[in-house]
Amino acid sequence: MMFDYVSFLQNLSNGVLIGGVYALIGVGLTLVFGVMKIINFAHGDFVILGMYCAVLLNSLLGWDPYLSLLVAMPLGFMAGALLQRLVLSRLMEAPPESSLLVTLGLALVIGNILLLTFGAEPKSVNVSYASSTVSLGKVSFSIILLLAGLATMVVIAGLYTVLNHTELGRAIRATADNRLGAELVGINTRWIEAVVFGIGMALAVTAGVVLIPLLFATPTFSGAIFTLKAFVVTVLGGLGNIGAAIAGGLLLGVVEVMGASYLTSDYRDAYGLLVFLLILLLRPEGLFGKTVKRV
Amino acid sequence: MKKHYVIFAGLVLMGIFYPRMFPGYLSVAITLLLYAGWATSWDILGGWAGQVSLGHASFVGLGAYFVAVGTSHHEIAPWWAVLMALFAASLVAYLWGRLTFKLKGPYFTLSTIAIAEIFRLVAINEGWLTGGATGVFIMTLPEPFGLDLFSRQVNYYLALAFAAITVLVVMLISRSKFGYQLRAVREDEDSAMASGINPTTVKLKAFMLSGALTALGGGIYAIFLSFIEPHIIFYLLLSVQIALTAIIGGRGTIWGPCIGALLVVGSGEIFRTTFAEANMLIYGLLIMVVVIFMPRGIVGEPARYLIRRVYAKRAQS
Repeated sequence: MMFDYVSFLQNLSNGVLIGGVYALIGVGLTLVFGVMKIINFAHGDFVILGMYCAVLLNSLLGWDPYLSLLVAMPLGFMAGALLQRLVLSRLMEAPPESSLLVTLGLALVIGNILLLTFGAEPKSVNVSYASSTVSLGKVSFSIILLLAGLATMVVIAGLYTVLNHTELGRAIRATADNRLGAELVGINTRWIEAVVFGIGMALAVTAGVVLIPLLFATPTFSGAIFTLKAFVVTVLGGLGNIGAAIAGGLLLGVVEVMGASYLTSDYRDAYGLLVFLLILLLRPEGLFGKTVKRV
Repeated sequence: MKKHYVIFAGLVLMGIFYPRMFPGYLSVAITLLLYAGWATSWDILGGWAGQVSLGHASFVGLGAYFVAVGTSHHEIAPWWAVLMALFAASLVAYLWGRLTFKLKGPYFTLSTIAIAEIFRLVAINEGWLTGGATGVFIMTLPEPFGLDLFSRQVNYYLALAFAAITVLVVMLISRSKFGYQLRAVREDEDSAMASGINPTTVKLKAFMLSGALTALGGGIYAIFLSFIEPHIIFYLLLSVQIALTAIIGGRGTIWGPCIGALLVVGSGEIFRTTFAEANMLIYGLLIMVVVIFMPRGIVGEPARYLIRRVYAKRAQS
């Protein structure tokens, strides 16, 4: 049998574009981990919050989902900063499991409040360009996926600029490197942590808005799935490393799409998990660096 | 320690007479007892050995599927199916632990979620083995000693026996050499190793015991429901519920998981009409409050206070 290059390229491009959104979700998680050393279990539910924000603005005001980013991102940032100041800041001295459990509780609270407000049936936003595609030779790209990829690139480029070329970014990197040292040179690390958690939540919300023309929003089930995907992405790349999270996201997207089309689509979600387990088990020190205590 | 056995005997006695006093509330009591048993089993690994697992639904699923598939597809009596499930669960726990116990803290927790998800996908997709996504019905069950295994009364006593067995096992462990080894490993693996304990062996034993007991409860759960679905029984939320029940009550305490079960199942019942399907809201709120304000759990905090007072008095005299 001849190898089918067209369908291979098609799968590759789909995988890369989906992977871009995974990367956007993963970057927020990994940024929060890098600075605050907490694993945020509610990250996937922040994505769902973004989806519902777009649904709400669309049904009330008829806004295009991409327009609702203007509202969703600042709101997400403020909500995240507030959550950090009110809840998570109490746990900075506690063992690492505590923050995991509290964010798990937060995930359950967000999911169930959404369930009480919007009901259990899946919601989506219909846009006129939902099924349009752009063709490049024999390979076609979905407009929505392209827009998602574009949004991801813009947001990640913005994040990169902030982190590397501003005073705030320098303070964030200093806090991630060495909290005590950062405090000694006069950085208000508590404030930095609130900002970082805000950025993390804003990134998750953005991913949710970008995904809504593509996926249905369901209140309780999908949050855990996104959280899991975000973990897979960050562990593939290495927790706390933003560049690696992008690579991890792209890898996860490609592995899922390739696995689904060349092996069996029944286990689409399992391929990412298997790669996740393999990396976790075979290369823990290389990927986690100093966070794992070696015996 | 004696007082724990007295409380235990008192509770079992109350449990035996409960169906006569409240015959209308049997289903709630069965759920309560199952959660108490599962949380107590979880606590052997999660509390006493300090390895937080969010994958225990896999063991519930193993137990439930052995009983359901065994009785409805292969005509194996449920008690043999449960026995097979216990062996299978221990084996799975052994391999699972071998694979992942080198991971520490949150990384171990993440790996348990991943493995449990893979189990769920297998249960959904391998229809020839599990009946697939539609689930399995238990139509007929044998009648040992003329007992109807479908009746709520019998289910209740099975669940009571399950909860009692798990609590008894934990009570025996808590004062045994194994129990002290578990606590040593939980507090500091390096120091435990320095005093001649092999942490991996100890954790493996705890995981196997914990998994097998959870599977026992899973088998009883299958008989109680008489219809099982992979989406529910292997689902992450069930793992989360089991773990949170134990943590809310108090990790590494004898009665903590039971108190936790009483609290979450009880409040779930009270707010059933208010929250309808959003019943996990209670778990979320409770776990946040407990972790922030009483990190040792509802039983753990006062117990620690009492112990410290006893030591303070001893130091004075």
